[in-house]
Amino acid sequence: MKTTFRLLIFLLLALPYQSFAQNDYIEVTAPGNRQLKLAVEAPRNLDTTTGNTVATEMADVITFDMNMSGIAQAETRPQSALSGGRLAETAFLPWTAAGFELLVRGEYSVKGDNLTVEYRLFDVVNQKMMTARRYLGRTKDLRYFAHAFADEIMLALTGEKGCFTTHIAYVSSQTGNKEIVIMNWDGHNLLQLTRNGSINLNPDFSPDGREILFTSYKRRNPDLYKRALSNTVEVPVSSRKGLNITGTWSPDGSRIALALSKDGNAEIYTLARDGSHPIRLTHSEAIEVSPVWSPDGTRIAFVSDRLGKPQIFVMNSDGKNVRRLTTAGAYNVNPRWSPKGDKIAYARMQSGGFQIYTINADGTGDTQLTSSGSNENPAWSPDGRFIAFSSKRGGEAIYVMRGDGSGQTRVSRGKGSATQPAWSTR
Amino acid sequence: MRKRMMLLLAALSMTALVAGGCANKEAVKTEEPAAATVKVEQLKPAQQPGAKSEEPAAPVENRVAEAIKPAEAQTGKAVEEVSAFEPIYFDFDSSDLRQDARNTLTKNAEMLLKSKPATRIKIEGNCDERGSAEYNLALGERRAKSAMQYLITLGVQPERLSIISYGKEKPAVMGDDEAAWAKNRRDEFVIEK
Repeated sequence: MKTTFRLLIFLLLALPYQSFAQNDYIEVTAPGNRQLKLAVEAPRNLDTTTGNTVATEMADVITFDMNMSGIAQAETRPQSALSGGRLAETAFLPWTAAGFELLVRGEYSVKGDNLTVEYRLFDVVNQKMMTARRYLGRTKDLRYFAHAFADEIMLALTGEKGCFTTHIAYVSSQTGNKEIVIMNWDGHNLLQLTRNGSINLNPDFSPDGREILFTSYKRRNPDLYKRALSNTVEVPVSSRKGLNITGTWSPDGSRIALALSKDGNAEIYTLARDGSHPIRLTHSEAIEVSPVWSPDGTRIAFVSDRLGKPQIFVMNSDGKNVRRLTTAGAYNVNPRWSPKGDKIAYARMQSGGFQIYTINADGTGDTQLTSSGSNENPAWSPDGRFIAFSSKRGGEAIYVMRGDGSGQTRVSRGKGSATQPAWSTR
Repeated sequence: MRKRMMLLLAALSMTALVAGGCANKEAVKTEEPAAATVKVEQLKPAQQPGAKSEEPAAPVENRVAEAIKPAEAQTGKAVEEVSAFEPIYFDFDSSDLRQDARNTLTKNAEMLLKSKPATRIKIEGNCDERGSAEYNLALGERRAKSAMQYLITLGVQPERLSIISYGKEKPAVMGDDEAAWAKNRRDEFVIEK
């Protein structure tokens, strides 16, 4: 009932410029590409000419998302008499004269608690509309709708939808205890998930985005739990003797990889999704933790100190063919496989702190991405464009950067320390 | 106004035209994340006092508050009794027992065997804040295990001993210098009820 009550209806306008969308994608992976200049005009309120703070907030969301994407240099612009009246009457020349190549315009209407917004993206050089969307919902959804349209802009410009409507879960000490919280990717809409007053660690989203796996000390042992985002029940997955830590879902959601110490010391195992049928993958006297799956599910990267200090290793997901991935640096941890499978992000301890690196899955191309403060626990966005991480620069907060290390921006706003981010699926 | 209606109609009919095509499939897909988001947002009232649907949230918070109290009380008691057993300390990224740790463990073992022959203890392994949280959970366990094995070789019955690791999640002292780190790389010995 409630779901029906809150159901959002989207009217999708046609996309008359599919030829553009399919053929003329911008090569965004090539370094040194010139950024497109994008004006985001504050949407026009169809009911009144006052109350533009909401309009500016909507425009600022799109501007923030597009600036973070790295493919556009976006700017929020006030409504201009020069830009034409209604969306259908958009004038292009004033925008090209101001040096812009792309323009987002919008119109919205508020009736009580109901919000209707329509956004359009224009190619002002070629004087044509590239994409348009209309969203019907509640006033509280205004940021969500702006993020959703930024996703569409990414689709129109690159051929791949953005991930600006996704979430980041992390461990927050804002209550005095370490609890799992979740926020929008840009730090807004913070919501506390666990409230057990214990120590909760290492959240990981299920591939369908509906459940979170985490370790909690709530029953006086580091046990693995899962809970749905839609309710508060914390279901025990693995409560074996000793450590039940660093659990991650396989890409098809059928199994969970984790570290268990039930047989004496921390080893990598996989479990069925209900926690049954453990399969032991590693056999060594050393510490093995932090298993993460390759996106095709055939390989698992993990941390082992079998050579003395923690290093990252890769093995097949049946435990065979173990090989060392990182060869530089004395202490490498926190592996996370990129969604496209080509890279593994990790954290290296150096000169007293950690820095984020990426390395190709074949061990080549080891690249340092961060250098300011101490930075740990990288987590890829589902499109692989961004990496979230926790950073100590003053306090300890969640930051987001592009996959090449550029655009490092603090996103978490809560009190207390913010660590161990996990990025939701789309 | 009329112009806009015309445009809308044109747009909608175009959508209809491509129905069944890939554009339409994509449109359907588009809405799934929206539903997921709404689900997430439904939880929000639990966090906002004063919101309409706050009533179910309040009891939850009370329950949490109650749950914390006994835990705190017990920790406090534990700390009192821990003082009977001295903690032992480790070098960075090491679970090897130093000579000072062995001396302390010998004293602890004597106490367990002579003055407290019925006592069960839980050995809590801890790390300083520098290593990674995940690796430190395993390192803390290895430290607890080192102490347990040494106590067993000194004659303490294995069934009186258990271990847990808190990694770097329960520092004894705050601070980011070697003095603080040295105090946090430790095993504590907590008397179990």
